[in-house]
Amino acid sequence: MAQQKKSEAAGYKLAELLKLQVGSISGTIEREGLTLFGGSNNLLGSDEINDFCIEFLQLLVALLESRDPHDDASPQFHALEMYFNNLSKQILVRGGRVEDLVRYIQFMQRTLIDALDHDKQCTVGDARAMLLFLSGLFNELILAVFQAYLDEKERTVNAQEAELRETATPITEIWDGVLTLPIIGTLDSNRTMLVMEALLNRIAKEHASAVVIDLTGVKNIDSQVSHHLIQMVRAVQLMGSDAIITGIRPDIARALISLNIDLSNITTRASLSDGLKEAFLRMGIQVSHKAA
Amino acid sequence: MSIPGLHLTRIGNGDFLLEATRSLNIRDQDRLLEGITACLLQAQAYDSARASARSGSESFRASCLYYDLSEQALIDPVYYAWLNALARTIQAINVKMVCIHIQPTAAFAMAQFIREKPAFETAIDIFGWQKTGR
Repeated sequence: MAQQKKSEAAGYKLAELLKLQVGSISGTIEREGLTLFGGSNNLLGSDEINDFCIEFLQLLVALLESRDPHDDASPQFHALEMYFNNLSKQILVRGGRVEDLVRYIQFMQRTLIDALDHDKQCTVGDARAMLLFLSGLFNELILAVFQAYLDEKERTVNAQEAELRETATPITEIWDGVLTLPIIGTLDSNRTMLVMEALLNRIAKEHASAVVIDLTGVKNIDSQVSHHLIQMVRAVQLMGSDAIITGIRPDIARALISLNIDLSNITTRASLSDGLKEAFLRMGIQVSHKAA
Repeated sequence: MSIPGLHLTRIGNGDFLLEATRSLNIRDQDRLLEGITACLLQAQAYDSARASARSGSESFRASCLYYDLSEQALIDPVYYAWLNALARTIQAINVKMVCIHIQPTAAFAMAQFIREKPAFETAIDIFGWQKTGR
């Protein structure tokens, strides 16, 4: 109880101090903000930095004047946290570095501690309480910045993964009801599952009658992957489509045989063009040269 | 034709469409198999009678049963066994079973466990089956 009263008193004292020196504090942190994020860095405009500094001091004073400035569940604390979260997002999205943000926050803390120097009536006990409060508060704010940084990174990684998924499964409707899926690179279980999911959904969407899976670009294949490949063909057949595998290279063919993979129920053709011809044949489509 | 848990509709040319509802209880497999087979036989007998009344000669046309799986998001080994049992039963009366509208998730799940060729055929839809002329 006595501790809380002490911290409340320190909070009010700090708030009074801030109000008295708001102009100089705001000016100092604004200048640093311009150095780190403005000018040639082009991350924030001078008006934006000015607005941010004023808002930061307003939120800090609101927190210091709250019932318990140490309460990290209070709306005032949450507002300050969100303010830093948003600031971080804005700077990170524009290409800023998280290190600069942390340095800026540490600079803000130093500026506030420096401001204590100007209060001649401040006792050692008050200064200690204020320092403790400020270090606790700014640690939380740095955590908020890191949280925003991690969120942003996660968002980027997710977007890149989605893009990779798109490029890993280039399913094309080459003719009405005929899909082609050229697989390039290494097939692992994860990728095979992704390809299978995309392919089955595409068959359902396009009502495809035939799927030509071209393995010309597949570097190597192991027992698990070949098993998944057979499952993929079986799933395609269950959907009611014909699956034709093309471009099986000699080493892949040898690997399939040595793995005891039964290809008797699977239609295979030497090349993608042969596979397409087979698909057209099954659909009763005839492609011929124009008569001279 | 009232069989609890499914709708069996005649769609012309001796073809039937079977749509399973949520209340279909495949644990009651024997009763369902008998009910569906009886309905198909009844329809075939009616067809034969009409044909012979028209031309004087007896004609018998094998029909096809389309099993609509559009509402079945997942097919597990139990449901697969039911489909196989139904396909084999109606094969005995010269009716072919074609599963249509298999959902990607169901095909994915089935591909994980089936080892042999199913007793039924599969097609994207009725039109797709008729177009390929199988």
